[in-house]
Amino acid sequence: MSIIELCGLSKSYRVYQKQEGLLASLRGLFRREYRDVHAVRGIDLRVEQGEFVAFLGPNGAGKTTTLKLLSGVISPSGGEARVMGHVPWKRENAYRRRFALVMGQKNQLWWDLPAQESFRLHQQIYRIAPEQFARTRDELTGMLGIGNLLRQPVRELSLGERMKMELTAALLHSPDVLFLDEPTIGLDVVAQHKIQQFLKYYQQHRQITILLTSHYMKDVAALCRRVVVIAKGRIEYNGSLNGIIDSFSGHKVVTLQFATDQSSAGLERFGQIVEDQPPRAKLRVERSALTRTLAAILAQYAVEDVVVEDPPLEEVIASLFTQVERDSGAEAQAASGTDSADASTAGVA
Amino acid sequence: MSARIATWWTILRICLEERLVYRGDFALGTLMRFLPIVTQIFLWYAIFEARGSSALAGYSYEEFVAYYLLTMVSRAFSSMPGLASGITRQIRDGEIKKYLIQPVDMLGFLFLSRFAHKIAYYSVAIGPFALVFFLCRGYFHNLPAEAATHSPATAAAFAASLVMSFVLGFYLEASLGLIGFWWLEVSSLLFVYMLFNFFLSGHMFPLDMLPQPWRAIFDAIPLKYLAYYPAAVFLGKVKHADLAIDLCVQFAWVVFFIGLSRFMFQRGLKRYSGFGG
Amino acid sequence: MEGMQYLRVFLTFARNSLIRDMTFRANFILESIASLCWMLGNLGFYALIFTHTPYIGRDSGWGQYEFFVFLSTTMFVNSLVQTFFMANVDEFSELIRTGGLDFALLKPIDTQFVISLRKIDWSSLVNFFAGAGLLVISLHKLSVRPDNPLHVSPTMVALYFIYMLCGVAILYSLMIGLSATSIWLGRNQTLYDFWFYITNFSRYPMEIYSGTWGRPLRWVFTFAVPVLVVVNVPARILAQPLRPNSSLSFSLAAFAIVATVASLLGSRWIFNRALLSYRSASS
Repeated sequence: MSIIELCGLSKSYRVYQKQEGLLASLRGLFRREYRDVHAVRGIDLRVEQGEFVAFLGPNGAGKTTTLKLLSGVISPSGGEARVMGHVPWKRENAYRRRFALVMGQKNQLWWDLPAQESFRLHQQIYRIAPEQFARTRDELTGMLGIGNLLRQPVRELSLGERMKMELTAALLHSPDVLFLDEPTIGLDVVAQHKIQQFLKYYQQHRQITILLTSHYMKDVAALCRRVVVIAKGRIEYNGSLNGIIDSFSGHKVVTLQFATDQSSAGLERFGQIVEDQPPRAKLRVERSALTRTLAAILAQYAVEDVVVEDPPLEEVIASLFTQVERDSGAEAQAASGTDSADASTAGVA
Repeated sequence: MSARIATWWTILRICLEERLVYRGDFALGTLMRFLPIVTQIFLWYAIFEARGSSALAGYSYEEFVAYYLLTMVSRAFSSMPGLASGITRQIRDGEIKKYLIQPVDMLGFLFLSRFAHKIAYYSVAIGPFALVFFLCRGYFHNLPAEAATHSPATAAAFAASLVMSFVLGFYLEASLGLIGFWWLEVSSLLFVYMLFNFFLSGHMFPLDMLPQPWRAIFDAIPLKYLAYYPAAVFLGKVKHADLAIDLCVQFAWVVFFIGLSRFMFQRGLKRYSGFGG
Repeated sequence: MEGMQYLRVFLTFARNSLIRDMTFRANFILESIASLCWMLGNLGFYALIFTHTPYIGRDSGWGQYEFFVFLSTTMFVNSLVQTFFMANVDEFSELIRTGGLDFALLKPIDTQFVISLRKIDWSSLVNFFAGAGLLVISLHKLSVRPDNPLHVSPTMVALYFIYMLCGVAILYSLMIGLSATSIWLGRNQTLYDFWFYITNFSRYPMEIYSGTWGRPLRWVFTFAVPVLVVVNVPARILAQPLRPNSSLSFSLAAFAIVATVASLLGSRWIFNRALLSYRSASS
């Protein structure tokens, strides 16, 4: 049995639509217009024990909502989910003792107190035995290099140090499942790297299951072997990181090094020129026509060196997002005649 | 000038809209404001009952109730919720910088937006106010000849003192808020002011009840104009001969606090820009 | 086991709040002084009233010192509510708005418990001691008065404290119930005022609500929203302004227990409903 199982999970909620203008506000006093927002539209997913899975997607894609559903913070409007055999939104204490949620944009430590006081509170709330508590705390703060900051009020810590404290707080009760919502948001490169390393080590060492959302491709590339791309509340891709390129990018990037400066003329016949710095040129070539094109180029030009690469991951994902956006935008427009893809009064699929 | 009117109109409209979006709050808030009066009415009824029916500090029971209702009116003009704390927050957060850069006068802008807020408030609150005064009209029947219900001169003085209580309330609180230029944590000071305001403006009881020398002391400080004075004028507690002088004194206080706040603002800004923000 | 855990968590809340208060010592002292001044202002107001009248209400028996017993009971109840619940409940709607409630929902512990007791405002406790001082002075004055001196028995004191805690429970329930509604109403700025206005009715002896308008009010604030029993019942037990009417007092005391249980259960129900709708209405 998988440790996390989602089946047709969906979430929609209503927001009050504020009208522009005074008269409309007055009308709002008596009759309100609501808009249904479909944050998650039927997600099926299985995650095995010990996996480190990344959720990728543009803002508002439903990543955070999915994590909140799995944490039981909110209830779904349809579908099912099991995490370690529990239904999250029943919020059983037995379940809540076994997972943790870290949100990069919110903090749960007491602002004016040293972090160790918040940790002690967690000890009481999660009923952690004193020796185990001390051991886990020292181990975590040691790994993250924040042992000397425990006595400083949280408000005096830097953003990176605070995030490390948040992580420590979340891991004090040694959860089996960890949900991370943008844990490195706003951090500098050094702190990002440090947290990545920590997560990687901790996950491999403890074999816990982690779901991560992040905007930083570096996080994902460093940590996760499996990637789930969510857009508009649906899963668009589920597989390995490199697989994204295979399934969403139909071309390769060919770098040619010519013998002379003049020889790149006429290359546009073979593909789109990305870069032209004689004696070097970069070319996007259809994957299916790769061998044929290469042979033709080598036959016609004096080429000293050839490198064939996949296009950069960021680029592929960015274009994937825009593509998904455009598709569902057109779909919604066709369905309801409005230009906002989110706003439709239709029920959840 | 027309640009200024356009700004003014925009502020007014935004204030109104803001009030109307939160219907639950809005409906409850306006109604609830009258609840404390109900307990006061019962309290004073019980007190008058225990005393027999003689007048207390020159007030009959009916006049007591009328007094409380009228202080509600003067407080509706003079109270400036969040003004002083807002100014100190702007100073602390550095938001005040924009008044150094933009061609906007801070006190003028705040006065204008407060004025708009009040208009927005009255335009909605006039309903409940009218209803309560209509229901309680019986308490206004046996007022003396010098009360505003009989004498146009008193009514005019009442109106004048109300308008001045708005301006006084604004500049008094603004001056308090501007202390934030020199003293970062003004909240405790504001609490003390609120305390004084609550007990000494006449909001809780007519100041006539106080024994000497307290009576004379509280008569001399400007807080009484925020609640007690307009109500006392309306009820004819102030002799016609004294009216003109009293209003002049109130006007002098208004001028004083306008001057004080302007002065503080200039000095404060100078100090602030001297520090380099 | 379960109970011990809650006690420990509560003590950690209390401890952390105290540490926090002590890091802002000047602020703490100022706040204590401020709330003390507030009570002194009130005391001055009532002292002023009693320079103009011997009693509040004809034949009610609420003379100056009987009323001061009442007043100190008000101080006890209010300071306990403010110390333990006010700041938390006040922050509840803020937590809903900012999404901070999410963290409370994650914890393997009762959500209402965490929400209600997270922060303890120690500075409000100063009024508890001020109230104790006023109570002792008033009881002394009452017990040495020449006609009909008051005898305070240990049973009276015990009952007094039990009913005072009942009063705290009723006010707490009212408060958490009101603030839970902010999930439905959106923002809830006036909640604080609303609470103030409602409890305003609890601040005077219930005898003052008499006559055509007073009777229904007394009924509503005794049975529908039981704020009148909050201070009246314990204060009556100690000050005993109405000796001949003891059967009424007895039934009122019995009712106070019922009201306490009912409001606690009611607020629990409202709270859970509010959480449910939060969890289905947010993203």
